[in-house]
Amino acid sequence: MLDWIRFIITALFLIGGLSMLVTAVIGVYKFDYVLNRMHAAGMGDTLGLLFCLIGLTVSAPDIWTALKLLLIICLLWVASPVSSHLIARLEVTTNPDWYQLTGAEKDEDQEVEA
Amino acid sequence: MSVWDAYSALYIAVLCVQTVLIIACFIRAVKGPSIADRIVSINMIGTQIIIMICVVALMLGQGYLTDVSLIYAMISFLAVVVLCKVYMGVYLERRAQQEEAQRHA
Repeated sequence: MLDWIRFIITALFLIGGLSMLVTAVIGVYKFDYVLNRMHAAGMGDTLGLLFCLIGLTVSAPDIWTALKLLLIICLLWVASPVSSHLIARLEVTTNPDWYQLTGAEKDEDQEVEA
Repeated sequence: MSVWDAYSALYIAVLCVQTVLIIACFIRAVKGPSIADRIVSINMIGTQIIIMICVVALMLGQGYLTDVSLIYAMISFLAVVVLCKVYMGVYLERRAQQEEAQRHA
């Protein structure tokens, strides 16, 4: 009986996480600019990984596997925002039309000589 | 139907859905117009492969496979950081060269 309860909790969490990942992929296809796409990808990835790994933790065979899965969650929650930030900075630096897209004031440091 | 059959069916279904998602991300990476687009897609593929390795670890009942997943998370993060730094460095260097050429002209 306990096995079935664990199975049902795992299945619910895995289905939730997979639906988050599917939403992220749909968002990556739907939006039309890189920063919008990156928003969808970053948010969906983080929450999807959290749900999937919590679901797997519930039915892990021993305590060390469960702790390692939680460690992966901690690592990715630190690493994923940092990589999103780096990708956003790459896009802002290398796209010369970025200021026209957002309507923001042009920064003095970023100005390209005409 | 025992609970282990149910577990195995669930894990195989999860792996199939993840495969489809990875192929979709890969198409986005091939087609993406800008560099940032491709790096975002590669980042998503890395996350989904981490989940796949964890699912396979529990499906086979081998706990040590989660170590592989941990290392994969670190390497995929490192790849994104290095790619961003390299592309930004190349772009800034090329722009500095162009400015230098215009100044001399």
